[in-house]
Amino acid sequence: MNFSFSDDQVLLKNSARALLDEHCKPEHVRAMMDDKTGYGEPLWGEMAKLGWLGLPFPEQYGGAGLGLVELALIHEEMGRAAYPGPFLASVVLGGFPILLGGSAAQKEKWLPAIASGRARLSAALQEDRLDCDPAGVTTTAARAGDGWALTGVKRFVPWAHVADALLVPARGPEGLSLFLVDPKGAGAALKPVTGMDLTTRWSELRLDGARVGADALVGEAGGGGAILESTLRRAAVCASAEMLGAARRSLDMAVGYAKVREQFGQLIGTFQAIRHKCAEMLMEVENSHSAVYYAAWALEAGAEDAAVAASICKSYVSESARKVCGEAIQVHGGIGFTWEYDLHLYFKRAKSLEVQFGDAEYHRELIARHVSSAS
Amino acid sequence: MDLNYSPEDVAYRKQVRTWLEQNVPSSPPRTLEERKVWHRKLYEGGFLGMGWPKEYGGQGARPMEQAIVADEMARAAAPAPTNGLGLGIVGPTIVVHGNEWQKKRFLQKILTAEEMWCQLYSEPNSGSDLASLKTSAEDKGDHFMVNGQKIWTSGGKVADWGLLLARTDPKVPKHKGITCFLMSMRQPGVEVRPLKQITGSAEFCEVFMTNARVEKENQIGKLGEGWAIANTTLGYERGGRSLARISGYAAQYHRLVGAAKKLTRNGRPLMESPTVRQRLGKIWADLEVERYNALRVLTQLEKGEHPGAGGSLTKLSYSEFEKRFMEVAQEILGPYGQLTDGAPAELALEIDTAVGEMGTWAYGFLWSRAGTIYAGSSEIQKNVIGERILGLPKESRADRGGAR
Repeated sequence: MNFSFSDDQVLLKNSARALLDEHCKPEHVRAMMDDKTGYGEPLWGEMAKLGWLGLPFPEQYGGAGLGLVELALIHEEMGRAAYPGPFLASVVLGGFPILLGGSAAQKEKWLPAIASGRARLSAALQEDRLDCDPAGVTTTAARAGDGWALTGVKRFVPWAHVADALLVPARGPEGLSLFLVDPKGAGAALKPVTGMDLTTRWSELRLDGARVGADALVGEAGGGGAILESTLRRAAVCASAEMLGAARRSLDMAVGYAKVREQFGQLIGTFQAIRHKCAEMLMEVENSHSAVYYAAWALEAGAEDAAVAASICKSYVSESARKVCGEAIQVHGGIGFTWEYDLHLYFKRAKSLEVQFGDAEYHRELIARHVSSAS
Repeated sequence: MDLNYSPEDVAYRKQVRTWLEQNVPSSPPRTLEERKVWHRKLYEGGFLGMGWPKEYGGQGARPMEQAIVADEMARAAAPAPTNGLGLGIVGPTIVVHGNEWQKKRFLQKILTAEEMWCQLYSEPNSGSDLASLKTSAEDKGDHFMVNGQKIWTSGGKVADWGLLLARTDPKVPKHKGITCFLMSMRQPGVEVRPLKQITGSAEFCEVFMTNARVEKENQIGKLGEGWAIANTTLGYERGGRSLARISGYAAQYHRLVGAAKKLTRNGRPLMESPTVRQRLGKIWADLEVERYNALRVLTQLEKGEHPGAGGSLTKLSYSEFEKRFMEVAQEILGPYGQLTDGAPAELALEIDTAVGEMGTWAYGFLWSRAGTIYAGSSEIQKNVIGERILGLPKESRADRGGAR
């Protein structure tokens, strides 16, 4: 039993902190918020060089062969920096379905390309309904020649505008299947939408009989549900790690401010109204840390409670990070409400991740199903 | 990071489980004498004083082994040993701060429950501000003479001895004038009155000391060191029992889910109501997060690190959780949750209350109000977290003038 990071994990975290402190300062984040693509190629290249983009892939596919705990550490640092870019989309949403369910040929084609940064992937997990339960997918896949024709509307597809391929769940005669789709191909149309978090980009994807070949099917026909669920759990934990990073950054800023800001002739950190708020924020942050790294370890180790641990993690951290980032604004007062001050970057990042890969309500229902069958 | 239990830990857990299966009494002990019999059985099994040195009757066990025993006892719903404060607070204080004579004189008899202990800290006017305590211990040459009043003394009724904080020097700043003593409760100058709490039972007492006597040999540590010693003992109340506490919550939670399947509202079982499912889902998430926290604390203890002010975070988190949990339990159970007697079996809860009678959901709900007050209220914990972990500036306090 050891719930602490190894020396190598600490080293990885420190090197991630160092790289992002240097190359992902708030000025960079703000520049990317105004950028058309929304992320910078030079930093993307640096991340590829450091092995982050293939972090969970086996070495034979150009990966680093590391686990979810390491991946969560990187995500926490990205949340802390409000890193703008398709990291989670490409590595987690794109990489894991291929890693978990792809053919040898698909792995050889895509995993080294993701790891080297040459290709960016994402997945289209949401439709009109608000949950992301694979059981509710309505997009259809009809047999067409050797391949398939896909029809349906996907919402909030992260970083689709820069993706070379999207993992698309669709329902065919055999059941739910996963397909690799070129978002710029015939029958596919992307329409960017703008959310309040400008460090995350979303698009709507319309598929109108979009044709894909037989080699676009990831896993067995009808076997998409399991791959999708595994991927969603990993995405939920990585997103939680980002929210944790955003929350910790917000807490650090609030505490730092409480140590220098004076009102009524005293530092505001001397007031219990502020100090107790900060203590509660720390409690939320530490609880979130426990939830994130327990779930990351459980998924990696294939622990019995891995699935419910992922839901516990996402439901807990979604609310906790929102609270901490929000309270940091409250501690700052008026300055925290300005565009110029950086707090809103983390507040909005946490908010945008809160609704992705299942919000707290969705995951609490999964937890209820688990305990109902266990009690 | 590896959250699997080691093969040794798994084997040890199995061994403990087997022992408990064979030894847990079929009907829970009700009287103090019955509890003492069970207590001695636990001691002979090697499950008490596990972290204490072997030469004083302890087991010299690792924190993980202690946690496993506590956890298995909670899972088996085994009755707790008696003399809880002796085992939890007084013994560890003597192990760390006592002299050789005191260790030999007192430790073994705590383990065998031959001598029962209480803790004489809080006073009517010194709750959160414990260091302002007024009970005096006056040096009379060959002994100290103690005068004053203590309150919230658990187990005072049955205690033979008390771990006492008293003021030995009223002239120095308040934190510096307190000394720690071991005081016999069996003397004419000590009067114990039960204090009935909101649960209706009396786990606590008030203790009145009028020219009570403490022998010189029973002073713990140096004169004026009492506050520092008390601060380390408050830490003993947290940590080691962390896993067991969570297993206790989990057993109650599963009872609650069972009740939610039986109870109906608007013609269908509560367990089919989305709002009930949401509440139960949230509580399970919070409960599991507390378990993960306990594993983090155990990791620290196993490495020989003391959680220090981090213990304040753990305590704040679980005590506030317990209140939320019990509130949700009440919302689900409705009037059945308020029954202190006569609840249908499938809706009833039986929990150990440490006073010999079995607790109910109602008792658990009322008792959950205690956790955020005892051993440093939530507000005190937040002050500690703010000052000692986050490094926020100390507030200006009227009582700190000249003290620092």
